[in-house]
Amino acid sequence: VKELEIKYGTSATKGLSEAEAAARLQRDGPNALRPPRGTPGLVRFGRQLAGGLQCLMWVAAAICLIAYGVQRGQGDRGSSDNLYLAVALIAVVVVTGCFGYYQEFKSTNIIASFRNLVPQQATVVRAGQTLQVNAAELVLGDLVEIKGGDRVPADIRVLAAQGCKVDNSSLTGESEPQTRSPECTHESHLETRNIAFFSTMCLEGTATGLVIGTGERTVIGRIASLASGVGNEKTPIAVEIEHFVDIIAGLAVFFGATFFLVAMLIGYPLLRAAVFFMAIVVAYVPEGLLATVTVCLSLTAKRLARRNCVVKNLEAVETLGSTSVICSDKTGTLTQNRMAVAHLWLDGQVLAADTTEDQSGEAFEQRSASWPLLSQVITLCNRAQFQPGQEGVPVAQRDVIGDASESALLKFAEVTSGPVAAARGRFPKVAELPFNSSNKFQVSVHEAGPQQLLVLKGAPERVLERCRGYLREGEEHPLDPEWRRSLEGACLELGGRGERVLGFCARWLPPGSVAAGTPPEALAEVATGLCFAGLVSLIDPPRATVPQAVRKCRTAGIRVIMVTGDHPVTAKAIAAAVGIISEGSETPEDVATRLHLPLEQVDPRQARARVVTGSELAALAPGALEELLRTHPEMVFARTSPQQKLLIVESCQRLGAIVAVTGDGVNDSPALKKADIGVAMGIAGSDAAKQAADMILLDDNFASIVTGVEQGRLIFDNLKKSIAYTLTKNIPELAPYLVYITASVPLPLGCITILFIELCTDIFPSVSLAYERAESDIMHLRPRDPRRDRLVNEPLAAYSYFQIGVIQSLAGFTDYFVAMAQEGWWPLLVLGLRPRWEDAHEQELQDSYGQQWTFAQRRYQQYTCYTVFFISIEVCQIADVLIRKTRRLSLLQQGLFRYTWVCIGCFLCYCPGMPNVFNFMFQWWLVPMPFGLLILVYDEIRKLGVRRHPGKTHLGTPWIPGTHLGTPGPHLGTPGGTWNSPGTHLGTPGPHLGTPGTHLGTPGPLPPPLDSIPSPHPPQIKAQVTRPGVCRCLLLVERPKNPKRSPRNHQKVTKKRKTLNT
Amino acid sequence: MARDKEKRICGQVVAEWRAFLWDPRTRQFLGRTGSSWGLILLFYLVFYGFLAGLFALTMWVMLQSVNPHVPKYQYRLLTPGLMIRPCAEGLDVTFNVTQSHTWEQHVRALHQFLESYNDSVQAARNAACPAGRYNEQPDDAVPNYPKRACRFERSRLGPCAGLGPHGDYGYGSGRPCVLVKVNRVINFFPGKNKSINIVCAAKHEEDAALLGPLNLFPPNGTIDLMYFPYYGKRVHVNYTQPVVAVQFSNATANVDHHVECRLNAAGLRTDDERDKFAGRVAFRLRINRE
Repeated sequence: VKELEIKYGTSATKGLSEAEAAARLQRDGPNALRPPRGTPGLVRFGRQLAGGLQCLMWVAAAICLIAYGVQRGQGDRGSSDNLYLAVALIAVVVVTGCFGYYQEFKSTNIIASFRNLVPQQATVVRAGQTLQVNAAELVLGDLVEIKGGDRVPADIRVLAAQGCKVDNSSLTGESEPQTRSPECTHESHLETRNIAFFSTMCLEGTATGLVIGTGERTVIGRIASLASGVGNEKTPIAVEIEHFVDIIAGLAVFFGATFFLVAMLIGYPLLRAAVFFMAIVVAYVPEGLLATVTVCLSLTAKRLARRNCVVKNLEAVETLGSTSVICSDKTGTLTQNRMAVAHLWLDGQVLAADTTEDQSGEAFEQRSASWPLLSQVITLCNRAQFQPGQEGVPVAQRDVIGDASESALLKFAEVTSGPVAAARGRFPKVAELPFNSSNKFQVSVHEAGPQQLLVLKGAPERVLERCRGYLREGEEHPLDPEWRRSLEGACLELGGRGERVLGFCARWLPPGSVAAGTPPEALAEVATGLCFAGLVSLIDPPRATVPQAVRKCRTAGIRVIMVTGDHPVTAKAIAAAVGIISEGSETPEDVATRLHLPLEQVDPRQARARVVTGSELAALAPGALEELLRTHPEMVFARTSPQQKLLIVESCQRLGAIVAVTGDGVNDSPALKKADIGVAMGIAGSDAAKQAADMILLDDNFASIVTGVEQGRLIFDNLKKSIAYTLTKNIPELAPYLVYITASVPLPLGCITILFIELCTDIFPSVSLAYERAESDIMHLRPRDPRRDRLVNEPLAAYSYFQIGVIQSLAGFTDYFVAMAQEGWWPLLVLGLRPRWEDAHEQELQDSYGQQWTFAQRRYQQYTCYTVFFISIEVCQIADVLIRKTRRLSLLQQGLFRYTWVCIGCFLCYCPGMPNVFNFMFQWWLVPMPFGLLILVYDEIRKLGVRRHPGKTHLGTPWIPGTHLGTPGPHLGTPGGTWNSPGTHLGTPGPHLGTPGTHLGTPGPLPPPLDSIPSPHPPQIKAQVTRPGVCRCLLLVERPKNPKRSPRNHQKVTKKRKTLNT
Repeated sequence: MARDKEKRICGQVVAEWRAFLWDPRTRQFLGRTGSSWGLILLFYLVFYGFLAGLFALTMWVMLQSVNPHVPKYQYRLLTPGLMIRPCAEGLDVTFNVTQSHTWEQHVRALHQFLESYNDSVQAARNAACPAGRYNEQPDDAVPNYPKRACRFERSRLGPCAGLGPHGDYGYGSGRPCVLVKVNRVINFFPGKNKSINIVCAAKHEEDAALLGPLNLFPPNGTIDLMYFPYYGKRVHVNYTQPVVAVQFSNATANVDHHVECRLNAAGLRTDDERDKFAGRVAFRLRINRE
């Protein structure tokens, strides 16, 4: 100690002086970990500018500039278009880069703000005085005191300790608490017992020590600076978007290169071909998409925040939606984290008390004649009391002085039998013996008018020892064996529900039997020959909303696993109460009891449920846990350590699940971090848990997670809609170039206009799709399989590109040709016109009427064509945004204009008079209308087909949930073999609801077994098209056994039939 | 998962691709069986056929609104363009008086252009119209009745008519002629019933002295109103565009002259910044002498 004092120039009793501390703070800097330097802002910004799509855009901009330069060099002053385009492209890249950077900056800031939310305080002795200072102000040589629950504020050499234990798990991975004492036990400072490390938690006890390292110079500081380079794992949605961007960029380059070559072969000069390449890239890349996705995610994050889920990482929103397993903590998450009276036993009957948080449940029968005495005992034999000044507060929310059980009884008494304080006033206390662990009971004696009343409560067996009789219907009876049996039965039953059982009894004494001031010990002798009044059992009751939420999880195909440190019996009881162990399922123990077999002879596979304790878990062979998880759909883990929590999470992940973990304690933080999405509790949660989590539940309520899941699924669906919408218009943007190059028509749609569509008009509708409400069955689907169910899949792309996109293109060309024809350029003249049309020296080009046009006049006409084509795309996109609102339900079912956002989006972007519409002519809006209508009608027919024939395997992707073209029922695709309770989620019914004569189909196919997916297709297809007289449909009947039949064909069939029927 | 992928060796990847291309076991090509491809093909055939039909129908309906004789809209042609002959590249009329090969091409072009203006041709094809007013020919009862065109005789261009033995439009003597013509626009009535003419001048006033006097033919560069309106190439078959010839009688040699001609008509804007040829035309003239 002396050495230390000298080394750090301090005193082991008085600490540093304030001045010295300030000087050292000046010298060494604050005691805080410098945030990982990682990447400076500029580099991160640079990274935003150098993504896949951005690189393409840079190339495009460069080509533009070169083209402009060459044109300038050739003395062509006619067009600065290329320059404008280059500037616009660079602006787009920079602006979206700024946007991305801002988002990233904001999310890192959120995390930082969480850190700063609670500045850590440290108790420090300076100049002999004990002070609370900010932990960042600690310096070398400071004398600090720590106690259980604190975080160690710096590296500390322990000088004195009382039962101090620290959790070094964050540092060394050891999960057991470690003792800290002044003795040096090891050479290595990591091993020795007399050093406590910065940022570890002190679990219990107290210690005093000298600061020997601060900030970066602490052990953890050194590790942190080493580990700062370790990146996070990518969230599923990030993977999806990357996948999508890869595809898009690849296709853009492919198309660009193809047409570059085609243009070269046709004989265009190199520069022109390069410009074509650029234009195709611009047309194909969805410039506004990333912004849309970010906006959609942050909108959902906001919506979640309103429902008490704060999301730290935007992308976690979607992760929650793909969650397939939730490992939930018990205390505080599933339960209310308070004791409450659950049951009473009197007159040989078990009565249930109201355990809801707000006392909204039904009160029990109070008519029994025994009740007055029992309630009196409950009221009087209780040391707890309400804190004063809470008259207006509902009983359940009042603060109480006293331990958990007594508070519960106090509140119970207050609610059931009126003000406790008044009753206690009427029966003043004469003497009492408080509860202690050796007696296991509590006695008090009260004046009751002419008599004295002795009341006693305690563990039932101890209480019974002191009883002579029992109360029935208000009459006292002597004890008899039958009654004893019934009492034991009740005790067992209530105990088996994980409840804590207390017995209550009383005895009337003659006045003066017990004098005031009698020593408590003497009371034990008086308290004999009592009359047993009844039992009361206590439990930490489940939250009212939890069973509903668990049921929702189940129907949503999410498995809820309870992982708790609590006792197995309690854990099982709560699990059963909230539905984690469903009604009717048995644990192996239950099976053993039912069959009267010893546990060893029961095949655990017969049981659906299983409770595994930490010690059993520790004895399991590697891989056995996975086996357990696979065999038992309903699992409860009790008495688990943090290490085991981690193990459970990892096992689930190995089984391919996306795991959400809820937790509040420091001990949960490794599991929270390991989980795909960690959910921390906002009220009960420790800082460590909050930091490790991706999401924080402000109300600690499990039901909020379900809301989160719903929102996560919704956002995935809505993003899908948004992307489908965004993708569609790439075709009508691309097609003009293809026709321009191959058919040599004057350019129908310019690059600037494309950028305008992408970045201005279409942003609003695609964002508005994020506001789309869920289609009814969203929580009846099983979670998406991240490896199979991509954000963008083949049917979605095919439908957008080759069907809707083509319709849109045709609309554009119709409008274009008509607009040209009406100005004097008939379609046949227009074909092949391009070289002369674009000749800047040609000032007298003849149109179909013999009129002569100057170059500028033609250019003006070309711009008009851009506008016309633009309007056509917009008109079709209005139809597109309407059809994208739903994927399965008809627009009429979902409500056409229920969503103001879509309407506002439509209005804002497509209303006449937007800047790009240079000159508005009603006719230009009229021409594409039939195509817009066609899109609406066509998609309605598709949806009709999808609704009538759900669960159809198609396109070789049999069970994509909600593929665009798709099956509402992935649940119809995969049956058991995984975890879900069979039959809980059959979604929309399969039977055809068609008009008689149209459908002869069999009812919805049952789930084929997993291993026989490519098995013969259900006979449905054949059946549905056997309507006589529809000969063209019959063409399609020729192929009955085709499992990979395109749904489009099928739609076509439906469509044909429809047209013929009407 | 990701790691598993990395571990797969190259050969497996190739094999997978090959299996994707053609899987002999399931007889699948690119992940589909032949009949599946066939169905898709059939579907798209029908689908696109239907779309093509719809496209054709819409086009047909909309083209019904297009009159074959008169364009529906003429918003881009409010001011007709002006152009010169000879239509040298870059509107740059440069030649050397003494070297005939430098201007022969211009002369040839002018000859060719003026061929249809020959008095004989005009007399044979076109009618003599009353001067000074529009030659309106309303359709009485018979729609789109063929219209008569008014004569524009080549001889009106005086020395710039290119007639006579030399017929070199003054190029050989260093007094070159340039013809200015107005673009055809259907139903265009310029000048609001007042006479219109072409005015030419040096682009920059200070150069006017160098450019010297300009002679315009017909006199004052007048374009008679009888050449308007134009009724379109179908009904107005022999329409002859009026031209104005500008002769640079004494332009300084070996100097670049920037000349601008404008159509001077009431109510016609000729100062559109974007369109340098709307109602005006600028060209460069350089006469080289040794």
